[in-house]
Amino acid sequence: MSLPVAIRIARRELRGGLRGFYVFLACLALGVAAIAAVGSVRESIEGGLKREGAVLLGGDAEMSLTYRYAEPEERAWMDATATRVSEIVDFRSMVVVERGAVTERGLTQVKGVDGAYPLYGRVELDPPIPLDEALAGNGAVMERVLADRLGLTPGDDFRLGTAEYRLSAILTREPDGAGDGFGLGPRLLIRTEALEGSGLLAPGTLFETKYRLALPEGADMAALEARADARFADRGMRWRDARNGAPGMTRFVDRMGSFLVLVGLAGLAVGGVGVSAAVRAYLDGKTEVIATLKTLGAEGRTILLAYLIQIGTLAGLGIAVGLVLGALAPILAAPFIQAQLPVPVEVQVHPGPLAEAALYGILTALLFTLWPLARTEEVRAAALFRDVSGRVRVWPRPIYVAATGALAALLIGVAAWFSGVPKLALWSAFGIVAALGLLALAAVGLRRLARRLARARFLRGRTSVRLALGAVGGPAGETTSVVLSLGLGLSILAAIGQIDANLRSAIQQELPERAPSYFVVDIQPEQLDGVLTRLTGDPGVSKVETAPMLRGVITRINGRPAKEVAGDHWVIRGDRGVTYSAAPPEGTIVNAGQWWPEGYDGPPQMSFADEEAEEIGLKLGDEVTVNILGRDITATVTSFRAVDFSTAGIGFVMAMNPAALMGAPHTHIATIYAEPEAEAAILRDLASAYPNITAIRVRDAIDRVAEVLGSLAAAIGYGASATLVTGVIVLIGAAAAGERARIFESAVLKTVGAVRGQVLAYFALRSAMLGAAAGAVAIVAGGVAGWAVMEFVMMGGYEFEPGSAVAIVLGGALATLLAGLAFAWRPLAARPARVLRARE
Amino acid sequence: MADPILSLADVTLTLAGNAGPVEILHGITLDVTPGETLGLIGPSGSGKSSLLMLMGGLERASSGRVTALGHDLTAMNEDQLARFRRDHMGVVFQSFHLIPTMTALENVATPLELAGHRDAFDRAAEELRTVGLGARMDHYPNQMSGGEQQRVALARAAAPRPHILLADEPTGNLDGANGAAIMDLLFGLRDRHGATLVLVTHAADLAARCDRVVRLADGRIAGEEARRAAE
Repeated sequence: MSLPVAIRIARRELRGGLRGFYVFLACLALGVAAIAAVGSVRESIEGGLKREGAVLLGGDAEMSLTYRYAEPEERAWMDATATRVSEIVDFRSMVVVERGAVTERGLTQVKGVDGAYPLYGRVELDPPIPLDEALAGNGAVMERVLADRLGLTPGDDFRLGTAEYRLSAILTREPDGAGDGFGLGPRLLIRTEALEGSGLLAPGTLFETKYRLALPEGADMAALEARADARFADRGMRWRDARNGAPGMTRFVDRMGSFLVLVGLAGLAVGGVGVSAAVRAYLDGKTEVIATLKTLGAEGRTILLAYLIQIGTLAGLGIAVGLVLGALAPILAAPFIQAQLPVPVEVQVHPGPLAEAALYGILTALLFTLWPLARTEEVRAAALFRDVSGRVRVWPRPIYVAATGALAALLIGVAAWFSGVPKLALWSAFGIVAALGLLALAAVGLRRLARRLARARFLRGRTSVRLALGAVGGPAGETTSVVLSLGLGLSILAAIGQIDANLRSAIQQELPERAPSYFVVDIQPEQLDGVLTRLTGDPGVSKVETAPMLRGVITRINGRPAKEVAGDHWVIRGDRGVTYSAAPPEGTIVNAGQWWPEGYDGPPQMSFADEEAEEIGLKLGDEVTVNILGRDITATVTSFRAVDFSTAGIGFVMAMNPAALMGAPHTHIATIYAEPEAEAAILRDLASAYPNITAIRVRDAIDRVAEVLGSLAAAIGYGASATLVTGVIVLIGAAAAGERARIFESAVLKTVGAVRGQVLAYFALRSAMLGAAAGAVAIVAGGVAGWAVMEFVMMGGYEFEPGSAVAIVLGGALATLLAGLAFAWRPLAARPARVLRARE
Repeated sequence: MADPILSLADVTLTLAGNAGPVEILHGITLDVTPGETLGLIGPSGSGKSSLLMLMGGLERASSGRVTALGHDLTAMNEDQLARFRRDHMGVVFQSFHLIPTMTALENVATPLELAGHRDAFDRAAEELRTVGLGARMDHYPNQMSGGEQQRVALARAAAPRPHILLADEPTGNLDGANGAAIMDLLFGLRDRHGATLVLVTHAADLAARCDRVVRLADGRIAGEEARRAAE
């Protein structure tokens, strides 16, 4: 083997230019561009989040508490540590507007602020008055959506709890809004001291306090966090700082980015099929050159190396084009991206994601070209004298099969590593490989079936159909590459379609059927009887469930810090609801252990939700420490029970024996199941009688969730469409590559008496058959993927959704039909004599 | 003398070339009688194949008139020409021109199907047996030797029982033994079906088997000689 000779041969062969490689280049460039663009956007958002961390958080650091204000000792520590401290109170409530006999109510997320707010950034108001002026006295500002819903304009009065306030301006920008995470109601800002007369912050009421700290320049965040944790973590105080000002958002962007990169990888896999087909077609045309080189004494390895260098150079070009596109696209789309996101975006060229995309591109190019390249070794010098192409083995030498396997494993491994969600990456890779396998099998099956049908007696005389079947089943057709590439693209779309439809149906149709009408919080213990009397006497109410509710943070498990034991599990991430009950509430299924005896007043015992317990590794007998209102309560886990959070009913991760919690100030929550027509009256009565309580209309919350889900599906849809575009490019490539063969077929058919209509019908049928077959397989693959995601990831039921499935098959058939027809005109117009003589 | 089955009257053929129009055939006038075997000979580039293509309606004359079985081919559109070939003509090429995605049987059955024959496959099978390929019917072209492929092409041309058989150097790509076998088959088919055969060839021995030989040079008829009396 001689490298210099191989390089020289490659260089000479490259003189042929890019002809025949446009699809190859487009597939690689598009796949790499999609991944690079997604990665760049993710990096841009994360860069923005990082840079603006302090503004998003509202301070360099934030210490938050549930149910209580900071103790003097805690506040003293903050004052000593920070240059400035701002105190925020955050809770849900109802804005009430009375206009004569008509009373309007709207759920809101109230933020009570002090004079120091905001430490960083600026609140923007309409009219543009200073915040101090807007919040003076009983002034308040709210988001436009809430003001519009209630018909309020600046200067109007409204009620919150039992106190009257005046809307002084519309809140157009809240600097720390994105850092607050997902809220069910629009934001309302007010001075904390103005809330005093509202009766909304009574003991046991659900509220959160946040202390934002402005720290001296160069403060060591990690050291401060460690000190704060050491002193206050056991009191239920949580620390966040500007290193990650909006953790929920960062996590979301990270996950979303990872997921879209995986979708991009699927696109690259689709492109890989096109790359492979292009290289195969190119090398088929080089049989004579390779045979000649062998006649002249070139070793198989030298030839392989020469073509590897050549294809590698072209792949490098494709990847480079992809990187340029992927780097430029986010910059060009920056205004659009910035307008769509509630967070700052730092759009620039990010080398990291580009390098990641390039690596994926290189591995994919190698993976999909090695096999066809290995076949160059199989070409024998005898090919010059007679046609021996039909005798090339299907499998290359074992070393190439092994290398292909190793490359695939490496690609999957790299994807798993980079994505940060290895499990998802591995499952996605498994899905893609399984789908490719299924599609390859389908292609073989389709060819066999077509071949058999082409010979079927009942099709004799239907020339166009038989010709189309013969072509689909024939040896030199594009069946495999079209079914693989288009099929994979359609499979991904089908899977997304199935998952989206199932989630939508679960959230918008099934959930409202089972879910309560209202979720009522902050019912004071002395109000509970009155609430129940009002509700049970209402014929429109079918069921009411109530439970005492406290909120607490799991600080320790078996004496060890909870984070050490359970990592980043959602159960320990923030404060969780805790209830108490003497006996298992109706419908409770205790799966392990035993509920405490009636009247038990010994050391605290706890019943934990079984699935969550398993996820964080809890066993019966373990000790869980929960900080409630600054007080640690350590309970022994004595039972596990099934909790279904999907019904939107009352579900607590933790339940304790009454004696453990009854002394703590607390409120009750209630779920009300009522006829839709009774809902308005229930809300009116309850809110009038008990102004402090907050009723959340479950249907509104579901709509909010559905809205978010809709945006997610749209984002994933955009990602998947890149995959489909690649599939279509492969398809067009296959159609273009087949044009010469079709011109010849058309000439021969015309020679033996076929009219143009018959030839066109044959071409159209052949294309549509391939597309429909790819679509049909995509439905199966997409259905299986949809089922797996719904069943194992979403833990929900799956029902086949025919609407999108039919669209997929039709779309597949139409895409191939159009691509086929676009390349049918030249064959139809060609004069037989010219075509046939040119091949003499 | 019977009416000609093929007639060319002052036919010219001009094709567009890179350096401008190239006149391939100049004022060719020629009649072929029914049942006749006509050989077209001449050096490369003399216009033999182009003349054959004009006779088959595969190429359009730039001027003049081509009639076959009394029909004016120059007045027909593409589809009318295709139907005419389907019903009356069979063409054999030097490079066989089988459709690679079809088996031998399917290749031969296609013109019969296009002509609406219900027994297309039975007749195609019979024809393949006639040319000695009864055992290779389900093979694709790339699974057959050149000689075998040409036999399939012969069977495809002859299966619809055409009135006119046009063959363009049918042995040009074959070795001596295979070439001889193909010619025996071609003449045998012609004899059996009584078709008119027009044959382009370089081979003197083939030309010797024809009733009449027309020699072309530079796109013109340079000479003509009768070898055998037409039957």
